[in-house]
Amino acid sequence: MVTITRPGRSVTAGRPAAAGHSKERGDRRLGYILVAPALILLAVVTAYPLVYNLWNSLHYDNLTFATSPKSFNGLHDYNVAINTDGWVSALERTLVFTVVTIVFDVVVALALALMLHRRFRGRGFLRAAVLIPWAVPTVVSAMLWKTMFDPRTGFVDYFLGAIHPAWSNLTWLNISVFRSWAAIFIADSWKNIPFVAIILLAGLQVIPNDVYEAAKIDGAGWWQSFRRITLPMLKPALSVALIFRTLQALLVFDVIFVMTSGGPGTSTETLAYLNFDEFINKTDFGVGGAMSIMLVILALIISAIYVRAFRPQTTR
Amino acid sequence: MRSFTARRAATLALALALAGTAAACSSSSSPKQQTASSKQTITFAISGLGSEGTYAEKQVAEFEKANPNITVKVDVDSSSSTTFLQQVGNAFIAGSSTPDLIESDVTYTAKWAAAGYISPVSCSQSAFNASIWATGTYQGKQYSCPWFLNVEGLWYRTDLVPTPPTTPQQVITDAQAAMKKDPSLKEGIAFEGDKYEGAITAFMMLDKAFGGSLNNLSNINTTQNVAALSYLHSLIYQYKIAPTDVVTYQEAQTGTDFASGYAAFSTNWPYVGSLPLAPSVKGHIGYIPFPAASGGQPGVALGGEVLSINAKTQHIAAVNALINFLTSPAQQTARALAVSDAPAVTAAYTPALLASSPVWKQVQTLAPLAAARPVSPNYLNVSNDLQELISAAYANSSTTAAKSAFSQYAGQVASDANASA
Amino acid sequence: MAAIAAARHAAPSPRWDVRKIIRESLFYLAVIIVVLIALFPFYWILRTSLMSNFQVGQGVGGKNGVIPGALSVQGWKEVFTEDDFQRPLINSLIVSVACMVVTVVVASMAGYALSRLNIRGVGPILAFILLAGFFPVLAMIGPLFLLMRHLNILDSIWPLIIIYTVYTLPISTWLLKNFFDQIPAELEDAALTDGATRLQTLRRVVLPVAVPGVFTAAILSFILAWNDFAFAVSFLHTPSNFTAPLAITTFGESQFQVFYNVIDAAVVITSIPIALVVLFAQRRIVSGLTAGSFR
Repeated sequence: MVTITRPGRSVTAGRPAAAGHSKERGDRRLGYILVAPALILLAVVTAYPLVYNLWNSLHYDNLTFATSPKSFNGLHDYNVAINTDGWVSALERTLVFTVVTIVFDVVVALALALMLHRRFRGRGFLRAAVLIPWAVPTVVSAMLWKTMFDPRTGFVDYFLGAIHPAWSNLTWLNISVFRSWAAIFIADSWKNIPFVAIILLAGLQVIPNDVYEAAKIDGAGWWQSFRRITLPMLKPALSVALIFRTLQALLVFDVIFVMTSGGPGTSTETLAYLNFDEFINKTDFGVGGAMSIMLVILALIISAIYVRAFRPQTTR
Repeated sequence: MRSFTARRAATLALALALAGTAAACSSSSSPKQQTASSKQTITFAISGLGSEGTYAEKQVAEFEKANPNITVKVDVDSSSSTTFLQQVGNAFIAGSSTPDLIESDVTYTAKWAAAGYISPVSCSQSAFNASIWATGTYQGKQYSCPWFLNVEGLWYRTDLVPTPPTTPQQVITDAQAAMKKDPSLKEGIAFEGDKYEGAITAFMMLDKAFGGSLNNLSNINTTQNVAALSYLHSLIYQYKIAPTDVVTYQEAQTGTDFASGYAAFSTNWPYVGSLPLAPSVKGHIGYIPFPAASGGQPGVALGGEVLSINAKTQHIAAVNALINFLTSPAQQTARALAVSDAPAVTAAYTPALLASSPVWKQVQTLAPLAAARPVSPNYLNVSNDLQELISAAYANSSTTAAKSAFSQYAGQVASDANASA
Repeated sequence: MAAIAAARHAAPSPRWDVRKIIRESLFYLAVIIVVLIALFPFYWILRTSLMSNFQVGQGVGGKNGVIPGALSVQGWKEVFTEDDFQRPLINSLIVSVACMVVTVVVASMAGYALSRLNIRGVGPILAFILLAGFFPVLAMIGPLFLLMRHLNILDSIWPLIIIYTVYTLPISTWLLKNFFDQIPAELEDAALTDGATRLQTLRRVVLPVAVPGVFTAAILSFILAWNDFAFAVSFLHTPSNFTAPLAITTFGESQFQVFYNVIDAAVVITSIPIALVVLFAQRRIVSGLTAGSFR
């Protein structure tokens, strides 16, 4: 958990005590006003739709049959979402994808962070090169990799074909569940690993050098100092990286839309894709609302798990 | 300064509230209509670019010249029918009065009519081909004027396949022979297998050839339907005359592949004839219905585009004028000659047109036989299920893939087809 | 004893050197591989965009391997002449810049307030703002769509500017708050004792010093706002209102022909502004994200 820092106060010059109560109150009032726009904007985009979704999820609301009354129908929308519209299967798929993604991404990102941590000539160039995939839009990454995986116009099959001729004409998307997911996974991780790496790099940078020095004097090898010093001290950074990446993977949408439209069959339909499909294509805001509420609850549960697991140590 | 911020926030909130109320109020009144002669701009939403889109813009320019008081703004929306549907659907849901005139696929009419997004049209039935006219009839009223029809058949290379095949099995042997004859071919047959609507029309072609039908959506798990899908599946996995890549093919890929000389056969629409053809392909193309299996009929699928009117339009007179222009026999013939869009107007099949290419005679004879997709306001959800069905079959390498796919999805199709408000 | 140590120091064993050289070489090899993985897909798209459609259709290999046999700017020309790609680009630019401005202003105000102004409930407020950054806002597409429809601002840039702040505000506020935290209080206190009001000191004393932090927040906001696709595809239906990420997914495809070179040219063009921003500001981005995060 990111430890929230206290407002910086210089030790010597405190708040001018003589200014007194009214200035404090004036400051405080100004403070509330300055914070208000941020809170209002965020509330409009998060809290308001959340409540609206909750309301819709308990009513019938389908824009295609816009003339029908929006009557209360209890948990019917949840029932439809779970039993008819495949929410549970999407949940399974999304969770599997999320777990695989975070394991792979964190390991690779850690290696990348260690690389970036070292001082060497060309470090700036490496950093810039690595940041570009993260900075371009997700659909760009999806289209890049869709092309790369195309048998006719892509590099992947060309490269594989050089290794083994039979692999020169593989179809990746839509032909099999595994290969479609592989392509999606690569496109998504390629774009997002750099961000995780930067967060881990931040964590690496605050580990003081003398701790390593002391360990080296005591005769610790690289792997030992990594395991006993680096990893434990990376915990705060790791937790931030994990929670970001997990929630991102949970909500993966752009890549699915561009690369497979949820195919083959429904095997790459993730929770976010299903949600979108329900709202925008099926125009069913009741069932869509139910799906949204369940998704929010899921995100909350996962966040809570992470907060619990990475509770700040008392000694820090 | 503090109060300034607060005041600004309050003004903004008030403005939003007013806008919201204004919007709510305006959406409930019926649209004021502009007369045909007043100066106005109407928006015409069409799908896709390329030669068809360009020609549509040319036709629009001609119309504007003949009607100087009307300006037509052409909105070129996505070429992918699913995305196009979303885009135009969004406009309708948003209560927008534009686009005024919409070119749409034949399958959308019932859904939009049921939702009240489009208004009944005033073109006359007798001028049009009956099959495509029927796609726009909903609850006894007509909600679309046909613009051009499309029949999906089988293109083949006459230099590599000297006599057209007469059975589905012969298609396979012909394709294999062609691949042996010409090593520059990348595939024996290219068909649409991506997860989208076009996969359904390709399937329906074969379905007709195998004697199946999708007309009874409550029970699509029939032997003939399964046989048709199995056949397509076998082209990929058993006979390997279609590459696995067909699961990413839409019309763009199958058409381009055929026109570039990479495929001996291609399931496609008549427009392929007017694509730029590679030298080896030029003059060596033929177009037939998919050969029937025993118990089946020549396989042709019906597509096409129709013109619908936004129920909220304020330019009904101008829109009708544009519809009349686009559906006049002269315009229909000219469009056919230019971009190979088959006329929906029967009078447009002039001797000159028929002489220009053998394709038109085929279209004329085949159009009544073409299998049309079911007309239902729920068709789009049904279509989604069918797309999942087909795509699941193509991704499954086992020989019983088609059978499993139909068993898995038939129930869902039935319930979606029968859903009502 | 000293002599032996000196001798050891003076003449290092040859084996030690070689191992170091190998380690270093492997490291640099790893760096090269990483750079290739990061940048090669861009090269590939650029390469494909500079070929004619016919060349692309032939496939990779033979004349057109990693390096194309012949170059053609047909795709690049058509992107602007046939497909009007400048429109989506401009739309994206407007939305991203507008969102960036809104974010920077709002986040600066909030960050300053949370850092300096001793309001009650700093913890919960900050937690709410950060939580909003983790909120699955994609799941709110439905109600937001209905809201924007009701306000009659669908199919325009306005809903996007507002909604994208949910992506940009949390991280910008957190970044700026950290930044303000690190500005010594003496600076302000000096001005305050001279009789300036809080807002005056904010404007005249604090902000100039905070420019680097503001700059970083601006860059991050621009990148995050440029990135969105889900809301664009749900809210926009007129092609001339599309943003760039949305446009490239519907581009270069006529109903019946696909122009790979056009699509790829559009993809390259969509990436260029971002790549430039990163190249010029990568140090800032990294330091902004890392500074003060884990003390």
